[in-house]
Amino acid sequence: MSQITIFINDKEYKVESGQTIMQTADHLGYHIPRLCYHPKLSIEGACRVCIVEVEGVRNFVASCAYPVRDGMKIRTNTKELRQTRRDIVELILDNHPEDCHTCERNYNCELQRLAYSMGIRRRHFTGEKKHYDKDLSSEAVIRDPNKCILCGRCVRMCSEIQKVHNLTQAHRGFKTVVMPAYNMPFKESVCTACGQCINVCPTAAFLERDYTQELFEALNDKSKIKVAQFAPSVRAAIGEAFNLEPGRNMEGELVAAFRKLGFDYVFDTQFAADLTIMEEASEFLERLQSGGKLPMITSCSSAWMKCMEQFYPDLIENVSTCRSPMSMAGSLIKSYFADKIGVDPDTIYSVATMCCTAKKYEAARPELVVDGRRGVDMVVTTREMAWMIKSAGIDFLNIEKEKPDSPLGMSSGAGAIFGTTGGVMEAAIRTAYELYTGETLVDIEVEAIRGLKGVKEGKLTMDGAEIRVAVAHGLGNACQLLDIVRKEPQRYHFIEIMGCPGGCVGGGGQPYASVNAIPLDENALQKRAQALYDLDRHKTIRRSHDNPDVQKLYREFLQRPLSPVSHKYLHTHYHAKTPRGIIPRVELK
Amino acid sequence: MEKYVITLCDGTTCIQKKSREIRTALEAEIQKAGIADRVAIHLSGCLGMCAKGPIVIVNPGYSMYGNVTINDVPEIVQEHLIKGRPIARLTIDEDHLYNRFFRVFGDADFFGKQMRITLRNCGIIDPENIDDYLALRGYEALAKVLTDMTPQKVVETVKKSGLRGRGGAGFPTGVKWELTAKEPGPEKYVICNADEGDPGAFMDRSAIEGDPHTVIEGMIIGGFAIGSNKGIIYIRAEYPLAIKRLEKALADARKNGMLGDKILGSDFSFDIEIRLGAGAFVCGEETALIHSIEGARGMPRPRPPFPAQSGLFNKPTLINNVETWANIPVIILDGADWFSSIGTATSKGTKVFALAGKIKNTGLVEVPMGTTLREIVFNVGGGIPNGKKFKAVQTGGPSGGCLPEKYLETQIDYESLAAAGSIMGSGGMIVIDEDSCMVNMARFFLEFTQDESCGRCTPCREGTKRMLEILTRISEGQGQPGDIEKLERLGNMIKKSSLCGLGQSAPNPVLSTIKNFREEYEEHIHQHKCRAGVCTSLLTFEILDSCVGCGACKKVCPSEAISGKRKEKHAIDPQKCIHCGQCFMACKFGAIRKG
Amino acid sequence: MNMVTPLELIRKKRAQAVGRIISSGYLSTKRVYVGMATCEIAAGSKDVMEVFREAIAGGTLRDVYLSQKGCAGRCNLEPTVEVIEEGKIPVKYGRVTRERAREIIDRHLKKGEIIQEWVI
Repeated sequence: MSQITIFINDKEYKVESGQTIMQTADHLGYHIPRLCYHPKLSIEGACRVCIVEVEGVRNFVASCAYPVRDGMKIRTNTKELRQTRRDIVELILDNHPEDCHTCERNYNCELQRLAYSMGIRRRHFTGEKKHYDKDLSSEAVIRDPNKCILCGRCVRMCSEIQKVHNLTQAHRGFKTVVMPAYNMPFKESVCTACGQCINVCPTAAFLERDYTQELFEALNDKSKIKVAQFAPSVRAAIGEAFNLEPGRNMEGELVAAFRKLGFDYVFDTQFAADLTIMEEASEFLERLQSGGKLPMITSCSSAWMKCMEQFYPDLIENVSTCRSPMSMAGSLIKSYFADKIGVDPDTIYSVATMCCTAKKYEAARPELVVDGRRGVDMVVTTREMAWMIKSAGIDFLNIEKEKPDSPLGMSSGAGAIFGTTGGVMEAAIRTAYELYTGETLVDIEVEAIRGLKGVKEGKLTMDGAEIRVAVAHGLGNACQLLDIVRKEPQRYHFIEIMGCPGGCVGGGGQPYASVNAIPLDENALQKRAQALYDLDRHKTIRRSHDNPDVQKLYREFLQRPLSPVSHKYLHTHYHAKTPRGIIPRVELK
Repeated sequence: MEKYVITLCDGTTCIQKKSREIRTALEAEIQKAGIADRVAIHLSGCLGMCAKGPIVIVNPGYSMYGNVTINDVPEIVQEHLIKGRPIARLTIDEDHLYNRFFRVFGDADFFGKQMRITLRNCGIIDPENIDDYLALRGYEALAKVLTDMTPQKVVETVKKSGLRGRGGAGFPTGVKWELTAKEPGPEKYVICNADEGDPGAFMDRSAIEGDPHTVIEGMIIGGFAIGSNKGIIYIRAEYPLAIKRLEKALADARKNGMLGDKILGSDFSFDIEIRLGAGAFVCGEETALIHSIEGARGMPRPRPPFPAQSGLFNKPTLINNVETWANIPVIILDGADWFSSIGTATSKGTKVFALAGKIKNTGLVEVPMGTTLREIVFNVGGGIPNGKKFKAVQTGGPSGGCLPEKYLETQIDYESLAAAGSIMGSGGMIVIDEDSCMVNMARFFLEFTQDESCGRCTPCREGTKRMLEILTRISEGQGQPGDIEKLERLGNMIKKSSLCGLGQSAPNPVLSTIKNFREEYEEHIHQHKCRAGVCTSLLTFEILDSCVGCGACKKVCPSEAISGKRKEKHAIDPQKCIHCGQCFMACKFGAIRKG
Repeated sequence: MNMVTPLELIRKKRAQAVGRIISSGYLSTKRVYVGMATCEIAAGSKDVMEVFREAIAGGTLRDVYLSQKGCAGRCNLEPTVEVIEEGKIPVKYGRVTRERAREIIDRHLKKGEIIQEWVI
């Protein structure tokens, strides 16, 4: 790194070398328009919106890719540049449906904003538009290639961050289209349903499967008992959909809004998170003490579940058999709770509001069916719920806060931090330590496994035994960690994996980035996580095993962790999957 | 058949040294001696031996005479042509690698005007027999490099030669080598780009099929120069014979110790493998090619970083095209000074062109840089067949431009062609006569580039599509005022803002035809007229009075637009006519006017 | 310690190569080269090659050195066949067919008659 001199629009600046023109210009207060660029992804250089003029270079250069050099004279706003950028964005519009009023991403669309700011008020080049069928096969993520502007963010997200490699560009020229291998329907592809493609898509080429209309209908069905649950990170993010700064905890408002929407009972998935810890910590200790398969890997993340079954079937035995908190809550709602209120479980309509698109996939997994019924009948994302609240005319920001219902509504601080990377591990440590040693862990905030580092490691000593733990968030980081595990199975005892960057706070169902933010902005992720850590800190009960409702549940219904009843309602199993596009590992060898 | 063929160098330097006067003297002397029926005189392009010019070559026997003066002419005729005794004092004995063609095969009329450096062995040796290559000093350049040159010296030599990339962009080869050599090792790659994708181009295929070893030798030298042990030839799978010959050549080279561990007993090891491309045009672009070798979709990425810094598997990578590699052994053996004496100030050496289109001698030619387009089209190429009029020459393949008659004096080099509004490209040259419609021509090339665009960047993917739509509607008679301006606006935008060379050059055929044949576009748009009679939608058909009423036209008309009684003049209903031209072709009496 | 330089080694290899070429009949009175690049093959040069091969194998054609070669660039005149005799101007035939090849054998190679109308 050294200081160099550059000129932007004839003004002289001293800047650091080794950066791109765009990075430098950002620091200096010039926001060069852009589209395909994303700071977390590799440089695509595809949209050409961020072009600038560099003296001595014949063509315009993409500022996202071009490094600054000493003495470089850059122009960002000449007449020719402005027209060229304008024309490029018009070319994108010319091949775009332009059904903005009826589009899911109306007002949340980067292309829409860009077209406005480029000053496209007249059209010059309209012609043929692409026409493809939508892929509606998946219960979680739907694909509409007509809306795709081929920026390649989804492709890069899926392959670079998530390492799932489900998407790529296919065909050439005007016929170029993003698709899974062999153009497989999403449901049959290697898609893990994580929904990160939706998060980074600037338009509506990827969306969650929308259940809002069905839900409105169900909420009007007097013959059903409507039961809600919602994930920890929903409360930490939904405010953003109402133009609040990231990191506002909207738990009370959410509970109130659920009731106003027509739910009869509102439970908190955080309660089930506490329960998960009881089961998972016990499972871990059992494996540890009886020589079971280690390292044990957490199983809360649905995208991770499918990823593991596809890419790491050799590690199936390492994965905890615990269901995710959502599914635990689901099966309890239709058993324990139905019993409590004395109704036929089939009259209950169980709806989960999740930060996650993969939970839609999880809810439909046949492995989770108990006594012939699904625990969760419907999953909606944070985004869908935000829209429903708005659509129903609920004054979300000024609503009186309410508390969730009993018996599945009360939670400890440990349950809250489930929503962020490292949270499950931290919560498990709090409980496992006490279960193992009989002593209460005093210093319960485990800094080593907090934060947004891709793979985090930590150590603790329990009765002289060293327990090595690791945490990964985002499937790409998970793969990196698991490749280590394959080579060194002894290296860790316990591993937490979350499928999305940042954990559930960065889930594929969270609100779209606001006008001046980028999707998956680290700053926003940290603020959402902080909201959950604050929630933890303000709770009197911060350990899952101290949650009195959890204790009561064991007394009344489950008997003890890992009991046969627990196994029936709270545990599951996995199968290796080889959708087309995956070469089974056996063949690889 | 003549007994003797005399080749007289007609290069600029030799002309200055009075070669043309020598020719007149020779002809007179031969006439005088009464042996004109036994001697043929051919002129050749520059033979690359300007220092010893004028050059006179007498075949058979390949006696090369240098510094010939008018006074030497009687002796040449008397001693050599009549008595059959070559003249020792005039003979120059220089063993250059190039231009072996004359001494082996003759065909002086065609080959005499060329200068064959990279194709020096093509059509001479058996490409599947390494002995043939070895016999013509094959692998001697490699041995020389390994015996008494350092890698730095090799890089310097290539730099000094002035060789520029023959793949199209013309980047100085030596600089590329230097940049790659400078990067820290040890893992580096050498790639030969044999992904020839221009429609109608077959320079690389012919070079490999005719002389695979020269490419291999060039690559080994490149590997030595930059410190790489691994070479890859990326060649399209549609070239099975070239692949087969490469495989044979690689195996033979390995067997003979020119590839593998400790080449020719030195400390340098190098090997080459072949990778097949699936025939995507864009994979000729170096970063797309690298992606393809890596197993990814062939799509270009933004540069910098250049492959020299971060190429194949993110390692420093030296990519050169087939023709560039084939120059290397000659430069090493004949020297950088000699090489740089050929060509123009900025472009050295020769260039291979695939002559195609409306030209007599379609084929592969290699000429020194600086040769004019006129010389290539009318001398080497033999001009336009069937007495048709020359209209334009299209250089640089689908990314090049169409140059009309006024550019025929343009000298072939990178800068001059660019200044004229075209490009050197990889060496396609298509000659167009008056029967071709320039709008249609532009549409054809743009259709190709649009189909082959990788789809990554917006200007190329979307912009060329819109241009194609406009061109299509113009050629269908649906052109609108302002369409030409739209084409120009889009074309210039695409050129200046596309990601890779494909997009940056895709509008060239359109922009250059607008520039040079604007009136044809205007005719199409405003008068709905295609002067070449190519755009069928714009044609009108009319039956003339010379119609005998045979009914042949009526029979073939698919839209029942023709009516008329037998033996009476027929008529075409313009409302029903679909402009297919069947009637025109069916009429044996020339009684249908097309226009 | 063997101190042969690469240059010395390659010269030795060349001498051996030349030896092998000569021993395969290169010094025959006539040498025949058939163009065998993709383009020539597409134009029918395999048939032409076969005619010459059969003639040599069948013993009707003696003292002729037959070889293939790559594309010389004469696309519109392919397949091409060269007949070379030491001390004479080489003769190059264009658009050679099976029939023409047989005639070249009979008239040129056996009787020494140059078939002017097919010469390029």
